[in-house]
Amino acid sequence: MSALISGLGWVTAAGMGGGKSLCPFAMTTDRLPPIDRKAVFDQPYKNFGRMDEYSRLGLAAIAFALRDAGLEQSAAQRDIGLVAQTEYGCLWTDIDYYNSALPDRGTMASPNLFAYTLPNCFMGEAAIRFGLTGDSYIVNEPSASGMAALGLAVEEIAAGEAQTMICGRCDLGRPPLLGSSGQVAAGALFFVLENAPVAQRSYYGTLERAAHGQILFEDERISDLTALARRCLQIKR
Amino acid sequence: MSRSQPVWLTEAVTVTALGDSLQQLWDRLMAGRSGIREVEHFPVDQYASRWAAAVPGLTPSGGRTGRSRLHPLLERLFDSMPAADADTVLFTATTKAGIDSLEPLCRGQAADTTGMVPSDVPRLISRRLGLTAEGVNINAACASSTIAVAKAASLIRTGRASSVLVCCMDVITDFVFSGFSALQALSRQPCRPFDRDRSGLTLGEGAAALQFMSAERAAGRNRKPLAAVVGWGMSNDATHITAPARDGCGLIRAIEKALHLSQLDPGQIGAVSAHGTGTVYNDAMELTAIRHVFGDRSLPVYSVKGAIGHTLGAAGGIEVALAAKALAEGMVPPTVGLLHPEPEAESLVSTRAQNLSGSTLLTTNSGFGGINAAIVLKSGSLP
Repeated sequence: MSALISGLGWVTAAGMGGGKSLCPFAMTTDRLPPIDRKAVFDQPYKNFGRMDEYSRLGLAAIAFALRDAGLEQSAAQRDIGLVAQTEYGCLWTDIDYYNSALPDRGTMASPNLFAYTLPNCFMGEAAIRFGLTGDSYIVNEPSASGMAALGLAVEEIAAGEAQTMICGRCDLGRPPLLGSSGQVAAGALFFVLENAPVAQRSYYGTLERAAHGQILFEDERISDLTALARRCLQIKR
Repeated sequence: MSRSQPVWLTEAVTVTALGDSLQQLWDRLMAGRSGIREVEHFPVDQYASRWAAAVPGLTPSGGRTGRSRLHPLLERLFDSMPAADADTVLFTATTKAGIDSLEPLCRGQAADTTGMVPSDVPRLISRRLGLTAEGVNINAACASSTIAVAKAASLIRTGRASSVLVCCMDVITDFVFSGFSALQALSRQPCRPFDRDRSGLTLGEGAAALQFMSAERAAGRNRKPLAAVVGWGMSNDATHITAPARDGCGLIRAIEKALHLSQLDPGQIGAVSAHGTGTVYNDAMELTAIRHVFGDRSLPVYSVKGAIGHTLGAAGGIEVALAAKALAEGMVPPTVGLLHPEPEAESLVSTRAQNLSGSTLLTTNSGFGGINAAIVLKSGSLP
């Protein structure tokens, strides 16, 4: 049971980019800078401006991952699935929405903000932008490792339910309203997984699902998605 | 891959506005009763609707502790759940978990935020049930629990697990109510799925616990199948994040994937449990997709949302439980709230219970983010 990694992309406080670029990669708990459309897409993209910060974060990292895999552009829709881990999801947007709803007892609640108060909505934005018609769902894991999401993505490929999956994590971190304990890194990191090699496409390596649900990358046990990204970059660079 | 393992649903419990058991829900649904009432646990006079299908007697949220309404709902569910084996894999499904705890926080008041974010939920349930592993929550809008069922079935089918529990839940909160009101998606009157005069959805709340086992494990535990899960499929419309694709393309793909996996033709499906929210665009999209897949064939189609409201992340799980009941009884429930069927729906939906011919049933859900999911169930009385 295996899947090939053909692309990775990220947006973190340290920078944004894809694996085959020379952008530095680090996942830290620092606050993310605002994500500017021009840093992600060359051409204007009207949906980008209306999105919440969480959706911009996820969409941008998926864009870098697909670009890294050579799969960003396509004339037709594609049966590519999306699965992502998040701990706090769209909670920052929830707070913004609720603060819009509290005055005047909800009569001034923002419908546009409410549309982004589901953590899977950035996947809908990615599906629209890149023509992805596979399944798309969020995995909320008690640990922030992202390994359950990765396991489910590898499982789908192994079961023949998907040929290509985009898998990763997307989190803005713990809002200050909840206190400072339990902070998780703010950032998004996505991988493109494929079931079989395609000519003229390069791969970082192979993921395998071993016994007891463990996941191996190039025969080494992986503990979280950040470690997987580092290992991919070590191999490539 | 090793030989596919049969996936059996061996236990199903529900808590909804129509009662704290699946049997109560079934009996009241078959009698055409509705659990939709005026909302009492927060003020709604400023919103587009005052109706929702709340679970009767559930402790109000907030109060001195700012504790979510999610907790008493889960306690009701646990009260009727049989014990699960410790090695059972847990999938929970909720869209907003205990988001009602956010209001006191935003007002600068103290709140018990346990369960406020969905990532808390699997830990809470796993500990309560004494499971070895914590599990994960699946969050895919109104298809959350449908996808959780698909993931559970896939794990068993491929031999990766032999016992998987799906627990799904969502509560009616001011947060969600105000949002759907702002989107102008709420019906001013109790919702009327597939009716030509439908004008929106009515929110509901509820929970379900579904125990799935491999046939081998179920036999070892002396459990009988309520139904078998034989197919599933998911897809994204890739057109809009809050509105369904008008041509039903995403739902059609999800249904076709589910049929392909189940090795069934559309002609072998006995009935459809539709999402049927009562919004103009959702119901029209579903009818388009059903007509595309089933042609002019007349088969029973029903929605339960006119009786128990739209329970969001719990909808798919509750509807799978009801579908298993329908297969066992050989009948599908009436579409409560329906008065004058949409012309396209006339030979499909009914204000009365309908006979279910055959042994298979398709259940579908769609949601924000463009997600669609479909599950094919087969009667548990068949091998």
